[in-house]
Amino acid sequence: MRRLIKAEFRRLLATRMWLVTLLVAALLGGGLIGMMTIVGPENFDPPMPGLQTEAGVRSVLGMLGFTAFVPAAIGTLAVTSEYRYRTVNFTFLFAPHRWQVLTAKLVTYGVAGMLYGLVLTGTAAVAFFGAVAARGVSLGMPTGTVIELLARIAVAMVAYTVLGVGMGALIRNQTAALCVVIGYLYAGEMLLMMIPGINLVYPWLPGGATASLTDFTAVADAMSQQLSTDPVHLLSPVAGAMVLMGYTALASAAAVLRPMRRDIT
Amino acid sequence: MTGEHLRIEVSNLTKRFGAVTAVEDLSFTVEQGMITGFLGPNGAGKTTTMRMIIGHVAPTSGTATIGGRRYGDIPCPSATVGAVFDAAAFHPRHSARDHLLVYAAMGGYPASRVAELLGLLGLAGAADRKTRGFSTGMRQRLNLATALLGDPRVLLLDEPGNGLDPEGMSWLRSFLRHLADEGRTILISSHALGEVQQIVDDVVVIRQGRLVASGRLSELAGSAPPVLVRSPDAAVLARTLMENPPEGVAAPRVEPVQPGELRVHGLDAPQIAELAAAHRLRVHGLVTENASLEQLFLDLTTSDLTVEERGSAR
Ligand SMILES: Nc1ncnc2c1ncn2[C@@H]1O[C@H](COP(=O)(O)OP(=O)(O)OP(=O)(O)O)[C@@H](O)[C@H]1O
Ligand SMILES: [Mg+2]
Repeated sequence: MRRLIKAEFRRLLATRMWLVTLLVAALLGGGLIGMMTIVGPENFDPPMPGLQTEAGVRSVLGMLGFTAFVPAAIGTLAVTSEYRYRTVNFTFLFAPHRWQVLTAKLVTYGVAGMLYGLVLTGTAAVAFFGAVAARGVSLGMPTGTVIELLARIAVAMVAYTVLGVGMGALIRNQTAALCVVIGYLYAGEMLLMMIPGINLVYPWLPGGATASLTDFTAVADAMSQQLSTDPVHLLSPVAGAMVLMGYTALASAAAVLRPMRRDIT
Repeated sequence: MTGEHLRIEVSNLTKRFGAVTAVEDLSFTVEQGMITGFLGPNGAGKTTTMRMIIGHVAPTSGTATIGGRRYGDIPCPSATVGAVFDAAAFHPRHSARDHLLVYAAMGGYPASRVAELLGLLGLAGAADRKTRGFSTGMRQRLNLATALLGDPRVLLLDEPGNGLDPEGMSWLRSFLRHLADEGRTILISSHALGEVQQIVDDVVVIRQGRLVASGRLSELAGSAPPVLVRSPDAAVLARTLMENPPEGVAAPRVEPVQPGELRVHGLDAPQIAELAAAHRLRVHGLVTENASLEQLFLDLTTSDLTVEERGSAR
Protein backbone atom coordinates (compact mmCIF):
# COMPACT_ATOMS: atom_id res chain seq x y z
CA MET A 1 0.00 0.00 0.00
CA ARG A 2 2.88 2.37 0.78
CA ARG A 3 4.23 1.74 -2.73
CA LEU A 4 0.86 2.46 -4.29
CA ILE A 5 0.51 5.76 -2.45
CA LYS A 6 4.04 6.72 -3.44
CA ALA A 7 3.23 5.87 -7.06
CA GLU A 8 0.05 7.98 -6.94
CA PHE A 9 1.98 10.96 -5.62
CA ARG A 10 4.56 10.50 -8.38
CA ARG A 11 1.76 10.40 -10.93
CA LEU A 12 0.17 13.52 -9.46
CA LEU A 13 3.41 15.48 -9.33
CA ALA A 14 4.65 14.44 -12.78
CA THR A 15 2.54 17.03 -14.60
CA ARG A 16 2.09 20.68 -13.77
CA MET A 17 -1.55 20.18 -12.90
CA TRP A 18 -0.92 20.29 -9.16
CA LEU A 19 0.80 23.67 -9.51
CA VAL A 20 -2.00 25.06 -11.65
CA THR A 21 -4.56 23.77 -9.17
CA LEU A 22 -2.85 25.40 -6.22
CA LEU A 23 -2.61 28.65 -8.19
CA VAL A 24 -6.32 28.43 -8.86
CA ALA A 25 -6.85 27.88 -5.13
CA ALA A 26 -4.83 31.00 -4.33
CA LEU A 27 -6.70 32.99 -6.96
CA LEU A 28 -10.08 31.86 -5.74
CA GLY A 29 -9.16 32.19 -2.08
CA GLY A 30 -7.05 35.33 -2.04
CA GLY A 31 -8.41 36.97 -5.18
CA LEU A 32 -12.13 36.36 -4.84
CA ILE A 33 -12.34 36.93 -1.09
CA GLY A 34 -9.99 39.93 -1.25
CA MET A 35 -12.09 41.55 -3.93
CA MET A 36 -15.40 40.90 -2.20
CA THR A 37 -14.03 42.20 1.08
CA ILE A 38 -12.65 45.36 -0.52
CA VAL A 39 -15.95 46.03 -2.27
CA GLY A 40 -17.93 45.07 0.82
CA PRO A 41 -21.11 42.96 0.76
CA GLU A 42 -23.22 46.06 1.48
CA ASN A 43 -22.30 47.27 -2.02
CA PHE A 44 -23.26 43.99 -3.76
CA ASP A 45 -26.24 43.91 -6.04
CA PRO A 46 -28.56 43.05 -4.33
CA PRO A 47 -26.92 44.44 -1.18
CA MET A 48 -26.06 42.01 1.58
CA PRO A 49 -25.37 42.63 5.25
CA GLY A 50 -22.04 44.43 5.81
CA LEU A 51 -18.92 42.97 7.37
CA GLN A 52 -19.71 44.56 10.68
CA THR A 53 -22.45 41.92 11.02
CA GLU A 54 -21.92 38.21 11.53
CA ALA A 55 -24.17 37.38 8.56
CA GLY A 56 -22.02 39.60 6.34
CA VAL A 57 -18.80 37.79 7.24
CA ARG A 58 -20.48 34.43 6.75
CA SER A 59 -21.87 35.30 3.32
CA VAL A 60 -18.48 36.49 2.04
CA LEU A 61 -16.44 33.54 3.32
CA GLY A 62 -19.20 31.08 2.47
CA MET A 63 -18.72 31.92 -1.21
CA LEU A 64 -15.65 29.68 -1.01
CA GLY A 65 -18.02 26.75 -0.77
CA PHE A 66 -18.96 27.38 -4.41
CA THR A 67 -15.42 26.53 -5.48
CA ALA A 68 -15.83 22.94 -4.30
CA PHE A 69 -16.20 21.85 -7.91
CA VAL A 70 -12.46 22.36 -8.39
CA PRO A 71 -11.26 19.73 -5.91
CA ALA A 72 -14.20 17.52 -6.92
CA ALA A 73 -13.06 17.67 -10.54
CA ILE A 74 -9.45 16.93 -9.55
CA GLY A 75 -10.56 13.86 -7.63
CA THR A 76 -12.70 12.71 -10.55
CA LEU A 77 -9.82 13.07 -13.00
CA ALA A 78 -7.59 10.99 -10.75
CA VAL A 79 -9.63 7.93 -11.70
CA THR A 80 -11.07 8.72 -15.12
CA SER A 81 -7.75 9.68 -16.69
CA GLU A 82 -6.51 6.16 -15.95
CA TYR A 83 -9.27 4.77 -18.12
CA ARG A 84 -9.03 7.50 -20.70
CA TYR A 85 -5.31 7.03 -21.28
CA ARG A 86 -5.48 3.29 -20.55
CA THR A 87 -2.78 3.43 -17.93
CA VAL A 88 -5.21 1.26 -15.99
CA ASN A 89 -3.80 -1.63 -18.05
CA PHE A 90 -0.48 -1.27 -16.27
CA THR A 91 -1.93 -0.13 -12.97
CA PHE A 92 -4.02 -3.26 -12.51
CA LEU A 93 -1.15 -5.38 -13.85
CA PHE A 94 1.16 -4.03 -11.16
CA ALA A 95 -1.57 -4.01 -8.51
CA PRO A 96 -4.18 -6.67 -9.29
CA HIS A 97 -6.06 -5.98 -6.05
CA ARG A 98 -8.01 -3.06 -7.38
CA TRP A 99 -9.38 -1.94 -4.03
CA GLN A 100 -5.82 -1.20 -2.95
CA VAL A 101 -5.28 1.03 -5.97
CA LEU A 102 -8.45 2.99 -5.24
CA THR A 103 -7.64 3.19 -1.54
CA ALA A 104 -4.24 4.64 -2.43
CA LYS A 105 -5.95 7.18 -4.65
CA LEU A 106 -8.37 8.13 -1.87
CA VAL A 107 -5.47 8.67 0.53
CA THR A 108 -3.36 10.59 -1.98
CA TYR A 109 -6.19 12.80 -3.11
CA GLY A 110 -7.41 13.26 0.45
CA VAL A 111 -4.01 14.79 1.18
CA ALA A 112 -4.10 16.77 -2.06
CA GLY A 113 -7.58 18.04 -1.21
CA MET A 114 -6.33 19.10 2.20
CA LEU A 115 -3.48 21.05 0.60
CA TYR A 116 -5.97 22.64 -1.77
CA GLY A 117 -8.20 23.57 1.15
CA LEU A 118 -5.27 25.00 3.11
CA VAL A 119 -4.07 27.16 0.20
CA LEU A 120 -7.63 28.26 -0.55
CA THR A 121 -8.49 29.24 3.01
CA GLY A 122 -4.98 30.44 3.88
CA THR A 123 -4.87 32.93 1.03
CA ALA A 124 -8.50 33.81 1.76
CA ALA A 125 -7.59 34.57 5.41
CA VAL A 126 -4.67 36.78 4.41
CA ALA A 127 -6.74 38.68 1.82
CA PHE A 128 -9.76 38.95 4.12
CA PHE A 129 -7.94 40.27 7.19
CA GLY A 130 -5.76 42.49 4.99
CA ALA A 131 -8.73 44.08 3.24
CA VAL A 132 -10.65 44.42 6.50
CA ALA A 133 -7.69 46.22 8.06
CA ALA A 134 -7.28 48.42 4.98
CA ARG A 135 -10.93 49.44 5.06
CA GLY A 136 -10.88 49.84 8.82
CA VAL A 137 -14.12 47.87 9.28
CA SER A 138 -14.76 46.42 12.72
CA LEU A 139 -15.70 42.80 12.07
CA GLY A 140 -19.01 41.41 13.24
CA MET A 141 -17.34 38.12 14.13
CA PRO A 142 -14.42 37.34 16.44
CA THR A 143 -11.17 36.44 14.68
CA GLY A 144 -11.16 32.97 16.22
CA THR A 145 -14.60 32.23 14.78
CA VAL A 146 -13.51 33.42 11.33
CA ILE A 147 -10.56 31.07 11.44
CA GLU A 148 -12.78 28.20 12.59
CA LEU A 149 -15.15 28.93 9.72
CA LEU A 150 -12.26 28.83 7.25
CA ALA A 151 -11.04 25.55 8.75
CA ARG A 152 -14.50 24.07 8.20
CA ILE A 153 -14.37 25.17 4.58
CA ALA A 154 -10.98 23.46 4.22
CA VAL A 155 -12.51 20.25 5.60
CA ALA A 156 -15.33 20.52 3.05
CA MET A 157 -12.70 20.71 0.27
CA VAL A 158 -11.16 17.42 1.43
CA ALA A 159 -14.61 15.85 1.42
CA TYR A 160 -15.30 17.05 -2.13
CA THR A 161 -11.99 15.75 -3.44
CA VAL A 162 -12.80 12.33 -2.05
CA LEU A 163 -16.36 12.56 -3.41
CA GLY A 164 -14.78 13.26 -6.80
CA VAL A 165 -12.61 10.13 -6.63
CA GLY A 166 -15.71 8.09 -5.85
CA MET A 167 -17.67 9.55 -8.74
CA GLY A 168 -14.74 8.97 -11.10
CA ALA A 169 -14.67 5.32 -10.10
CA LEU A 170 -18.42 5.00 -10.62
CA ILE A 171 -18.54 6.78 -13.98
CA ARG A 172 -15.37 5.82 -15.78
CA ASN A 173 -15.98 8.05 -18.79
CA GLN A 174 -14.08 11.26 -18.16
CA THR A 175 -16.41 13.71 -19.87
CA ALA A 176 -19.52 12.11 -18.43
CA ALA A 177 -18.07 12.01 -14.93
CA LEU A 178 -16.97 15.67 -15.05
CA CYS A 179 -20.37 16.72 -16.39
CA VAL A 180 -22.17 14.88 -13.63
CA VAL A 181 -19.93 16.17 -10.84
CA ILE A 182 -19.71 19.81 -11.93
CA GLY A 183 -23.26 19.88 -13.26
CA TYR A 184 -24.66 18.56 -10.01
CA LEU A 185 -22.65 20.91 -7.83
CA TYR A 186 -23.51 23.91 -9.95
CA ALA A 187 -27.02 23.38 -11.14
CA GLY A 188 -28.34 19.95 -10.24
CA GLU A 189 -28.99 20.64 -6.62
CA MET A 190 -30.68 23.97 -7.40
CA LEU A 191 -32.89 22.30 -9.98
CA LEU A 192 -33.81 19.62 -7.51
CA MET A 193 -34.98 22.33 -5.17
CA MET A 194 -37.57 23.41 -7.72
CA ILE A 195 -39.40 20.15 -7.16
CA PRO A 196 -41.94 20.80 -4.42
CA GLY A 197 -41.11 18.95 -1.27
CA ILE A 198 -37.47 18.43 -2.16
CA ASN A 199 -36.49 21.48 -0.19
CA LEU A 200 -37.26 19.42 2.87
CA VAL A 201 -34.51 17.07 1.74
CA TYR A 202 -32.08 19.86 0.83
CA PRO A 203 -30.35 19.94 4.24
CA TRP A 204 -29.47 16.29 3.70
CA LEU A 205 -28.05 16.76 0.20
CA PRO A 206 -24.28 17.35 -0.17
CA GLY A 207 -24.81 21.03 -0.93
CA GLY A 208 -27.11 21.53 2.04
CA ALA A 209 -24.76 19.65 4.32
CA THR A 210 -21.86 21.80 3.11
CA ALA A 211 -23.92 24.93 3.69
CA SER A 212 -24.58 23.95 7.28
CA LEU A 213 -20.96 22.95 7.81
CA THR A 214 -19.80 26.33 6.53
CA ASP A 215 -22.66 28.29 8.09
CA PHE A 216 -23.63 29.53 4.65
CA THR A 217 -27.37 30.10 4.56
CA ALA A 218 -27.53 32.57 1.66
CA VAL A 219 -28.55 29.95 -0.90
CA ALA A 220 -31.13 28.32 1.31
CA ASP A 221 -32.60 31.69 2.26
CA ALA A 222 -32.69 32.94 -1.32
CA MET A 223 -34.26 29.69 -2.39
CA SER A 224 -37.07 29.82 0.15
CA GLN A 225 -37.67 33.46 -0.65
CA GLN A 226 -37.83 32.85 -4.37
CA LEU A 227 -40.12 29.87 -4.01
CA SER A 228 -41.97 31.65 -1.21
CA THR A 229 -41.96 28.46 0.79
CA ASP A 230 -41.24 28.06 4.45
CA PRO A 231 -37.61 28.84 5.25
CA VAL A 232 -35.34 25.86 4.82
CA HIS A 233 -33.84 24.79 8.11
CA LEU A 234 -30.28 23.66 7.68
CA LEU A 235 -28.77 21.07 9.97
CA SER A 236 -26.37 22.08 12.69
CA PRO A 237 -22.73 22.42 11.56
CA VAL A 238 -21.80 19.18 13.31
CA ALA A 239 -24.72 17.31 11.77
CA GLY A 240 -23.84 18.83 8.39
CA ALA A 241 -20.29 17.62 8.79
CA MET A 242 -21.57 14.15 9.65
CA VAL A 243 -23.83 14.05 6.60
CA LEU A 244 -21.01 15.21 4.34
CA MET A 245 -18.74 12.58 5.84
CA GLY A 246 -21.46 10.03 5.19
CA TYR A 247 -21.44 10.94 1.48
CA THR A 248 -17.66 10.82 1.49
CA ALA A 249 -17.74 7.36 3.03
CA LEU A 250 -20.31 6.21 0.46
CA ALA A 251 -18.19 7.58 -2.36
CA SER A 252 -15.08 5.91 -0.94
CA ALA A 253 -16.88 2.61 -0.61
CA ALA A 254 -18.14 2.96 -4.17
CA ALA A 255 -14.64 3.81 -5.38
CA VAL A 256 -13.17 0.76 -3.72
CA LEU A 257 -15.95 -1.71 -4.53
CA ARG A 258 -17.16 -0.68 -7.96
CA PRO A 259 -14.00 -1.42 -10.03
CA MET A 260 -13.58 -4.83 -8.36
CA ARG A 261 -15.21 -6.99 -10.95
CA ARG A 262 -15.61 -4.72 -13.91
CA ASP A 263 -13.78 -5.93 -17.00
CA ILE A 264 -10.96 -3.92 -18.48
CA THR A 265 -11.25 -4.47 -22.22
CA MET B 1 14.24 -13.97 -11.70
CA THR B 2 13.63 -17.13 -9.74
CA GLY B 3 13.84 -20.70 -10.90
CA GLU B 4 10.21 -21.43 -10.14
CA HIS B 5 8.18 -23.32 -12.70
CA LEU B 6 6.09 -20.82 -14.58
CA ARG B 7 3.85 -22.49 -17.11
CA ILE B 8 0.69 -20.71 -18.24
CA GLU B 9 -2.31 -22.96 -17.98
CA VAL B 10 -5.64 -22.06 -19.50
CA SER B 11 -8.43 -24.51 -18.78
CA ASN B 12 -11.96 -24.52 -20.08
CA LEU B 13 -11.99 -20.76 -20.26
CA THR B 14 -15.24 -19.17 -21.41
CA LYS B 15 -16.11 -15.48 -21.63
CA ARG B 16 -19.41 -14.01 -22.69
CA PHE B 17 -20.01 -10.32 -23.15
CA GLY B 18 -23.78 -10.26 -23.07
CA ALA B 19 -24.87 -12.17 -26.15
CA VAL B 20 -21.35 -12.30 -27.63
CA THR B 21 -19.28 -15.35 -26.78
CA ALA B 22 -15.72 -14.09 -27.08
CA VAL B 23 -13.98 -17.22 -25.79
CA GLU B 24 -15.50 -20.67 -25.50
CA ASP B 25 -14.20 -23.62 -23.53
CA LEU B 26 -10.61 -22.80 -24.41
CA SER B 27 -7.77 -24.88 -22.98
CA PHE B 28 -4.06 -24.77 -23.74
CA THR B 29 -0.73 -24.54 -21.98
CA VAL B 30 2.27 -22.36 -22.66
CA GLU B 31 5.52 -24.03 -21.71
CA GLN B 32 8.25 -22.30 -19.80
CA GLY B 33 11.19 -20.84 -21.68
CA MET B 34 9.51 -20.82 -25.08
CA ILE B 35 7.97 -18.31 -27.38
CA THR B 36 4.43 -19.35 -28.14
CA GLY B 37 2.52 -17.66 -30.92
CA PHE B 38 -1.14 -17.03 -30.08
CA LEU B 39 -2.79 -16.84 -33.47
CA GLY B 40 -6.23 -16.11 -34.75
CA PRO B 41 -8.05 -13.74 -37.08
CA ASN B 42 -9.53 -10.44 -35.87
CA GLY B 43 -12.13 -10.97 -33.19
CA ALA B 44 -10.99 -14.53 -32.44
CA GLY B 45 -10.69 -13.79 -28.72
CA LYS B 46 -6.93 -13.37 -28.33
CA THR B 47 -7.02 -10.12 -26.37
CA THR B 48 -9.89 -11.36 -24.21
CA THR B 49 -7.99 -14.55 -23.37
CA MET B 50 -4.80 -12.71 -22.50
CA ARG B 51 -6.72 -10.28 -20.33
CA MET B 52 -8.34 -13.18 -18.51
CA ILE B 53 -4.88 -14.60 -17.78
CA ILE B 54 -3.89 -11.44 -15.90
CA GLY B 55 -7.28 -10.83 -14.31
CA HIS B 56 -8.30 -7.77 -16.32
CA VAL B 57 -11.34 -9.66 -17.51
CA ALA B 58 -13.23 -12.03 -15.22
CA PRO B 59 -13.96 -15.36 -16.97
CA THR B 60 -17.56 -16.47 -17.22
CA SER B 61 -16.21 -19.93 -16.38
CA GLY B 62 -12.93 -21.79 -16.39
CA THR B 63 -9.55 -20.77 -14.99
CA ALA B 64 -6.24 -19.36 -16.10
CA THR B 65 -3.13 -19.79 -13.96
CA ILE B 66 0.53 -18.90 -14.12
CA GLY B 67 2.81 -21.28 -12.24
CA GLY B 68 -0.32 -22.82 -10.74
CA ARG B 69 -1.58 -19.53 -9.30
CA ARG B 70 -4.27 -17.15 -10.38
CA TYR B 71 -2.76 -13.79 -11.29
CA GLY B 72 -4.17 -12.06 -8.22
CA ASP B 73 -2.57 -14.67 -5.95
CA ILE B 74 0.97 -14.18 -7.25
CA PRO B 75 2.92 -12.48 -4.43
CA CYS B 76 4.80 -9.86 -6.45
CA PRO B 77 2.96 -10.02 -9.77
CA SER B 78 4.96 -7.44 -11.73
CA ALA B 79 8.18 -9.30 -10.92
CA THR B 80 6.66 -12.48 -12.35
CA VAL B 81 4.50 -11.41 -15.27
CA GLY B 82 4.74 -8.50 -17.69
CA ALA B 83 2.04 -7.67 -20.22
CA VAL B 84 1.58 -5.24 -23.06
CA PHE B 85 -1.79 -4.42 -24.55
CA ASP B 86 -2.54 -1.17 -26.32
CA ALA B 87 -0.25 0.88 -28.48
CA ALA B 88 -0.48 3.69 -25.95
CA ALA B 89 -1.03 3.25 -22.24
CA PHE B 90 0.60 6.40 -20.94
CA HIS B 91 -0.53 9.81 -19.84
CA PRO B 92 0.21 12.10 -22.81
CA ARG B 93 1.73 14.76 -20.58
CA HIS B 94 4.07 12.37 -18.80
CA SER B 95 7.54 11.83 -20.16
CA ALA B 96 8.75 8.27 -20.72
CA ARG B 97 10.80 8.59 -17.54
CA ASP B 98 7.83 9.94 -15.50
CA HIS B 99 5.71 7.04 -16.69
CA LEU B 100 8.31 4.44 -15.79
CA LEU B 101 9.02 6.07 -12.42
CA VAL B 102 5.33 5.84 -11.47
CA TYR B 103 5.28 2.10 -12.15
CA ALA B 104 8.74 1.56 -10.64
CA ALA B 105 7.34 3.09 -7.44
CA MET B 106 4.28 0.87 -7.69
CA GLY B 107 6.35 -2.29 -8.08
CA GLY B 108 9.02 -1.19 -5.63
CA TYR B 109 11.86 -1.03 -8.17
CA PRO B 110 14.71 1.48 -7.95
CA ALA B 111 15.09 4.47 -10.25
CA SER B 112 18.27 2.88 -11.59
CA ARG B 113 16.11 0.16 -13.15
CA VAL B 114 14.22 2.85 -15.06
CA ALA B 115 17.44 4.28 -16.48
CA GLU B 116 18.60 0.78 -17.37
CA LEU B 117 15.40 -0.02 -19.31
CA LEU B 118 15.37 3.31 -21.11
CA GLY B 119 18.85 2.39 -22.35
CA LEU B 120 17.99 -1.23 -23.16
CA LEU B 121 15.01 -0.18 -25.28
CA GLY B 122 16.78 2.64 -27.05
CA LEU B 123 14.65 5.31 -25.39
CA ALA B 124 17.43 7.12 -23.52
CA GLY B 125 17.38 10.01 -25.99
CA ALA B 126 13.61 10.43 -25.72
CA ALA B 127 13.34 9.77 -21.98
CA ASP B 128 12.31 13.28 -21.06
CA ARG B 129 9.99 13.97 -23.96
CA LYS B 130 6.23 13.90 -23.43
CA THR B 131 4.76 10.61 -24.62
CA ARG B 132 2.14 12.55 -26.60
CA GLY B 133 4.69 13.03 -29.39
CA PHE B 134 5.89 9.42 -29.48
CA SER B 135 5.84 7.38 -32.69
CA THR B 136 4.22 3.93 -32.75
CA GLY B 137 7.64 2.32 -32.46
CA MET B 138 8.55 4.40 -29.43
CA ARG B 139 5.21 3.62 -27.78
CA GLN B 140 5.78 -0.10 -28.24
CA ARG B 141 9.25 0.24 -26.74
CA LEU B 142 7.91 2.16 -23.76
CA ASN B 143 5.17 -0.44 -23.31
CA LEU B 144 7.80 -3.16 -23.30
CA ALA B 145 9.97 -1.18 -20.91
CA THR B 146 7.05 -0.89 -18.47
CA ALA B 147 6.30 -4.60 -18.69
CA LEU B 148 9.98 -5.40 -18.07
CA LEU B 149 10.42 -3.18 -15.00
CA GLY B 150 10.20 -6.13 -12.62
CA ASP B 151 12.36 -8.37 -14.83
CA PRO B 152 9.44 -10.82 -15.13
CA ARG B 153 9.92 -14.40 -16.31
CA VAL B 154 6.61 -14.45 -18.16
CA LEU B 155 5.60 -12.01 -20.86
CA LEU B 156 2.20 -11.63 -22.50
CA LEU B 157 2.38 -9.48 -25.60
CA ASP B 158 -0.78 -8.62 -27.49
CA GLU B 159 0.08 -7.86 -31.09
CA PRO B 160 3.29 -6.02 -30.24
CA GLY B 161 4.14 -5.76 -33.92
CA ASN B 162 1.05 -3.73 -34.78
CA GLY B 163 2.00 -0.65 -36.73
CA LEU B 164 5.73 -1.33 -36.73
CA ASP B 165 7.72 -0.81 -39.91
CA PRO B 166 9.91 -3.68 -41.19
CA GLU B 167 12.91 -2.35 -39.33
CA GLY B 168 10.96 -2.04 -36.10
CA MET B 169 9.57 -5.52 -36.62
CA SER B 170 13.00 -7.01 -37.10
CA TRP B 171 14.26 -5.18 -34.00
CA LEU B 172 11.29 -6.57 -32.06
CA ARG B 173 11.97 -10.12 -33.24
CA SER B 174 15.58 -10.06 -32.18
CA PHE B 175 14.69 -8.39 -28.88
CA LEU B 176 12.10 -11.08 -28.11
CA ARG B 177 14.50 -13.83 -29.13
CA HIS B 178 17.02 -12.33 -26.72
CA LEU B 179 14.39 -12.28 -23.94
CA ALA B 180 13.44 -15.89 -24.63
CA ASP B 181 17.08 -16.97 -24.64
CA GLU B 182 17.23 -15.71 -21.06
CA GLY B 183 14.69 -18.41 -20.25
CA ARG B 184 11.53 -16.35 -20.30
CA THR B 185 8.12 -17.69 -21.21
CA ILE B 186 6.57 -15.51 -23.90
CA LEU B 187 3.04 -15.62 -25.28
CA ILE B 188 2.76 -13.36 -28.29
CA SER B 189 -0.48 -12.84 -30.15
CA SER B 190 -0.83 -12.00 -33.81
CA HIS B 191 -3.42 -12.22 -36.54
CA ALA B 192 -0.71 -12.97 -39.10
CA LEU B 193 1.46 -16.06 -38.79
CA GLY B 194 4.12 -14.56 -41.05
CA GLU B 195 4.76 -11.85 -38.49
CA VAL B 196 5.85 -14.26 -35.78
CA GLN B 197 6.69 -17.40 -37.75
CA GLN B 198 10.43 -16.79 -37.49
CA ILE B 199 10.53 -16.54 -33.72
CA VAL B 200 7.88 -18.82 -32.28
CA ASP B 201 8.56 -22.35 -31.09
CA ASP B 202 4.95 -23.32 -30.42
CA VAL B 203 1.65 -22.02 -31.66
CA VAL B 204 -1.88 -21.90 -30.29
CA VAL B 205 -4.43 -21.15 -32.99
CA ILE B 206 -7.94 -20.03 -32.12
CA ARG B 207 -10.95 -19.04 -34.16
CA GLN B 208 -14.24 -17.70 -32.88
CA GLY B 209 -13.07 -18.20 -29.34
CA ARG B 210 -12.30 -21.91 -29.78
CA LEU B 211 -9.05 -23.80 -30.09
CA VAL B 212 -8.29 -24.97 -33.63
CA ALA B 213 -4.73 -26.20 -33.26
CA SER B 214 -1.83 -26.14 -30.86
CA GLY B 215 1.63 -27.58 -30.68
CA ARG B 216 5.01 -27.30 -32.31
CA LEU B 217 4.97 -25.10 -35.36
CA SER B 218 7.09 -27.62 -37.29
CA GLU B 219 4.71 -30.47 -36.51
CA LEU B 220 1.66 -28.50 -37.52
CA ALA B 221 3.23 -27.57 -40.80
CA GLY B 222 3.78 -31.25 -41.66
CA SER B 223 7.12 -32.82 -42.57
CA ALA B 224 8.18 -30.81 -45.57
CA PRO B 225 6.75 -27.91 -47.54
CA PRO B 226 5.69 -28.75 -51.12
CA VAL B 227 8.05 -28.16 -54.02
CA LEU B 228 7.04 -26.68 -57.35
CA VAL B 229 8.86 -28.46 -60.18
CA ARG B 230 9.14 -27.21 -63.77
CA SER B 231 10.15 -29.91 -66.22
CA PRO B 232 9.58 -30.66 -69.92
CA ASP B 233 9.37 -34.32 -68.81
CA ALA B 234 6.70 -33.61 -66.21
CA ALA B 235 4.48 -36.64 -66.84
CA VAL B 236 7.37 -39.13 -66.72
CA LEU B 237 8.93 -37.35 -63.76
CA ALA B 238 5.65 -37.57 -61.82
CA ARG B 239 5.44 -41.31 -62.29
CA THR B 240 9.13 -41.77 -61.50
CA LEU B 241 8.89 -39.82 -58.25
CA MET B 242 5.86 -41.78 -57.09
CA GLU B 243 7.30 -45.17 -58.02
CA ASN B 244 10.87 -44.65 -56.77
CA PRO B 245 10.86 -42.67 -53.52
CA PRO B 246 14.21 -42.61 -51.67
CA GLU B 247 14.91 -45.30 -49.06
CA GLY B 248 12.59 -45.03 -46.06
CA VAL B 249 10.47 -42.29 -47.53
CA ALA B 250 6.78 -42.74 -48.27
CA ALA B 251 5.60 -42.22 -51.83
CA PRO B 252 5.08 -38.50 -52.47
CA ARG B 253 1.83 -36.96 -53.59
CA VAL B 254 2.26 -35.30 -56.96
CA GLU B 255 -0.18 -32.73 -58.17
CA PRO B 256 -0.08 -31.50 -61.79
CA VAL B 257 -0.38 -27.72 -61.81
CA GLN B 258 -0.24 -27.03 -65.55
CA PRO B 259 1.57 -28.62 -68.49
CA GLY B 260 5.26 -28.81 -67.56
CA GLU B 261 4.66 -28.02 -63.88
CA LEU B 262 4.13 -30.24 -60.83
CA ARG B 263 3.61 -29.65 -57.12
CA VAL B 264 5.30 -32.39 -55.09
CA HIS B 265 4.29 -33.03 -51.48
CA GLY B 266 6.47 -35.20 -49.27
CA LEU B 267 9.88 -34.79 -50.89
CA ASP B 268 12.29 -31.90 -50.62
CA ALA B 269 14.07 -30.19 -53.50
CA PRO B 270 17.41 -32.11 -53.23
CA GLN B 271 15.58 -35.44 -53.19
CA ILE B 272 13.63 -34.51 -56.33
CA ALA B 273 16.76 -33.28 -58.10
CA GLU B 274 18.64 -36.48 -57.24
CA LEU B 275 15.83 -38.72 -58.48
CA ALA B 276 15.45 -36.74 -61.70
CA ALA B 277 19.19 -36.92 -62.36
CA ALA B 278 19.26 -40.66 -61.65
CA HIS B 279 16.52 -41.18 -64.22
CA ARG B 280 18.00 -38.72 -66.72
CA LEU B 281 14.97 -36.46 -66.64
CA ARG B 282 15.26 -32.72 -67.25
CA VAL B 283 14.42 -30.25 -64.49
CA HIS B 284 14.21 -26.54 -65.30
CA GLY B 285 13.11 -25.22 -61.95
CA LEU B 286 12.64 -26.24 -58.30
CA VAL B 287 10.91 -23.86 -55.89
CA THR B 288 10.15 -24.73 -52.26
CA GLU B 289 6.80 -23.23 -51.37
CA ASN B 290 7.39 -21.73 -47.93
CA ALA B 291 4.15 -19.80 -48.09
CA SER B 292 2.44 -23.03 -47.16
CA LEU B 293 2.57 -22.17 -43.45
CA GLU B 294 0.58 -19.07 -44.11
CA GLN B 295 -1.77 -21.22 -46.17
CA LEU B 296 -2.10 -23.68 -43.33
CA PHE B 297 -2.94 -20.85 -40.98
CA LEU B 298 -5.55 -19.54 -43.39
CA ASP B 299 -7.02 -23.02 -43.75
CA LEU B 300 -7.13 -23.45 -39.99
CA THR B 301 -8.76 -20.16 -39.31
CA THR B 302 -11.25 -20.07 -42.15
CA SER B 303 -12.46 -23.63 -42.65
CA ASP B 304 -15.03 -25.18 -40.38
CA LEU B 305 -12.87 -28.16 -39.52
CA THR B 306 -10.46 -28.51 -36.65
CA VAL B 307 -7.13 -30.21 -37.17
CA GLU B 308 -8.34 -33.53 -35.79
CA GLU B 309 -11.41 -33.48 -37.99
CA ARG B 310 -9.30 -32.57 -40.97
CA GLY B 311 -6.93 -35.45 -40.08
CA SER B 312 -9.69 -38.01 -39.91
CA ALA B 313 -11.28 -36.72 -43.10
CA ARG B 314 -8.13 -37.43 -45.09
N1 LIG C 1 -16.06 -5.36 -23.81
C1 LIG C 1 -16.63 -6.08 -24.77
N2 LIG C 1 -17.97 -6.07 -24.93
C2 LIG C 1 -18.56 -6.79 -25.88
N3 LIG C 1 -17.91 -7.59 -26.74
C3 LIG C 1 -16.58 -7.65 -26.65
C4 LIG C 1 -15.86 -6.90 -25.67
N4 LIG C 1 -14.55 -7.16 -25.82
C5 LIG C 1 -14.45 -8.03 -26.85
N5 LIG C 1 -15.66 -8.32 -27.36
C6 LIG C 1 -15.95 -9.26 -28.47
O1 LIG C 1 -15.30 -10.47 -28.20
C7 LIG C 1 -14.76 -11.03 -29.38
C8 LIG C 1 -13.29 -11.29 -29.20
O2 LIG C 1 -12.61 -10.06 -29.11
P1 LIG C 1 -11.06 -9.95 -28.89
O3 LIG C 1 -10.72 -8.51 -28.81
O4 LIG C 1 -10.65 -10.81 -27.76
O5 LIG C 1 -10.46 -10.56 -30.22
P2 LIG C 1 -8.98 -10.51 -30.81
O6 LIG C 1 -8.65 -11.89 -31.21
O7 LIG C 1 -8.09 -9.84 -29.83
O8 LIG C 1 -9.16 -9.61 -32.10
P3 LIG C 1 -8.16 -8.59 -32.82
O9 LIG C 1 -7.24 -9.39 -33.66
O10 LIG C 1 -9.08 -7.76 -33.65
O11 LIG C 1 -7.48 -7.81 -31.74
C9 LIG C 1 -15.11 -10.06 -30.49
O12 LIG C 1 -16.27 -10.53 -31.13
C10 LIG C 1 -15.38 -8.78 -29.77
O13 LIG C 1 -16.30 -8.00 -30.48
MG1 LIG D 1 -6.95 -8.04 -29.93
